[in-house]
Order: sequence, then C-alpha cells, then structure tokens
Amino acid sequence: METEKEIHETRPAEVRRRGRIVFVALAVLTVLEFAVSVWLGGMLPALALIALAKAALIIIYFMHAGELGAIWRQEWSQ
Amino acid sequence: MSAVHSEQSHHARYEQITIDRLGFWLFLLSESMLFAGLLASRFYLQGTYRPESLSQLLGLAITSILLVSSLTAYQAESAIAAGDQQTFLRNTLWTILLGVAFTAGVAYEWSQAFLHFPPSTVFGTVFFSMTGMHALHVLSGILLLLLLYRNGRLGKYSAANHWAPEAIVKYWHMVDVVWVFFYVALYLV
Repeated sequence: METEKEIHETRPAEVRRRGRIVFVALAVLTVLEFAVSVWLGGMLPALALIALAKAALIIIYFMHAGELGAIWRQEWSQ
Repeated sequence: MSAVHSEQSHHARYEQITIDRLGFWLFLLSESMLFAGLLASRFYLQGTYRPESLSQLLGLAITSILLVSSLTAYQAESAIAAGDQQTFLRNTLWTILLGVAFTAGVAYEWSQAFLHFPPSTVFGTVFFSMTGMHALHVLSGILLLLLLYRNGRLGKYSAANHWAPEAIVKYWHMVDVVWVFFYVALYLV
C-alpha cells in the first residue's frame, strides 16, 4: 500500500487536486465558524469541533501525518 | 562492488530521512505544548470574555491569508517533490508574501489593541502573549522560507533531495494549525 508521502512524490496532479479540495473544505469550515460566532453567539463546543476538524485536515493532508504510521511500522519491524 | 555501495548508500539515506522525519514530528509536538499552554491560560484567566473592540472581520481576514498560504506552501512542496522548480519557486514566493501580509495584519491589530486593552490588562496579557508568540513563529517561518527560496534559485533542491522544503513547509503548516485554535479562542468565542 502506498503511503501518503509516496503518492505525493509519484502522482503530482492528484496531489495538487487533493490540495485544492482540502483548501476549499478549510475555507467552508472557516466561514461556518465565523457564522457560528456572529449569529449563534460563539458556542464554544461547536467552534472547538470545527477547529479540530480544520486542524485534522491540515495535519493529515498537508503535513502527511500518515508517514508517522509508516515510520512506526518500520521501527517495529526491525 | 559499485552496486553494493549504491544499495548501502540508498539504505543509509532511507534510514536518515526516517530519523529526520521522526525527529521533526517530535520537535513540532514539543512546540505544540507551548501553544497549548498559552491556549489554556487564555480560558483559565479570562474564560470566554472577549472585548467588543476586537475586530472579528480583521481576524477573519488574517486567518484567510494564513489559510491561503498553507495551500501555496503545500503546492510548493508537492512541486519540488515532482522536480518542478518553477512552480516550487513561485509558490514559495507567494507563501512568503502571504506570511508578510499576515504579519502586517497582526501589527495593525496590535496598534489597535494597545489603545483598547494594553498588556497591563488581563485580556491584554493573554492577547499579546498568544499573538506575540505566534507572530514570532510566523517571522521565523518567513526567514526559513526566504532561505528556501534563495537555495531553490541556486538549484539546491530536486525530486530526490527535498527534505529541507518538506521540513520548512511542515513548520509553516504547524504555525497555521496553531492559528486555527488561537483564532477561535481570541476572536470567535
């Protein structure tokens, strides 16, 4: 199975498309949290959930957190 | 003999990059502890209090700038991973410019904050500590990106050798993740 990093290095067009999709998702979530703050009075649990979703998108797709699994497997296979 | 040496070299390189990546993730984790402490202090000291004078629109504007810079940083990294130097340089430059724009926005916010809630107030302490520490990381990120751009122009990175772009872009994304939470804690609650 290909790791996130391998896909990143071998299929640039797919990676660029994924980057744009993640960016749109982040933009939608940012507008949503602004709306929650302005119109719903800043409900902290809802804002925290949206922030966690945004952070997860960045960490998983932009920072390639999946490579940590590959590193873990490599270390434990030795 | 040469093939054996090449295989050993490849193996050593693979091991080194694995160690680099693991070490960098640990560095980012330790950095996040610092920011988590600042985030916790905001709610411990002030609860969900937010001064009316804090501009939500300015907060949204600088957040959007940082968000776009994450996309350009990502595109720069994916470009160099594929050996596309021009796209790498163009997106690195955009990331730098957006980082500078974000810093300018924070500087303007500070000029207003000094008038309405100076550092001597409790919220001022929280606000200047959080945004100051974050801005310091943005500035160091900009310096690293400038170094990356300079080295990129000299042709020092390629599809086979792009650990430095990968690490610096990861650092930039970490700065963005921190702001995702700081934005909510300072401007939206």
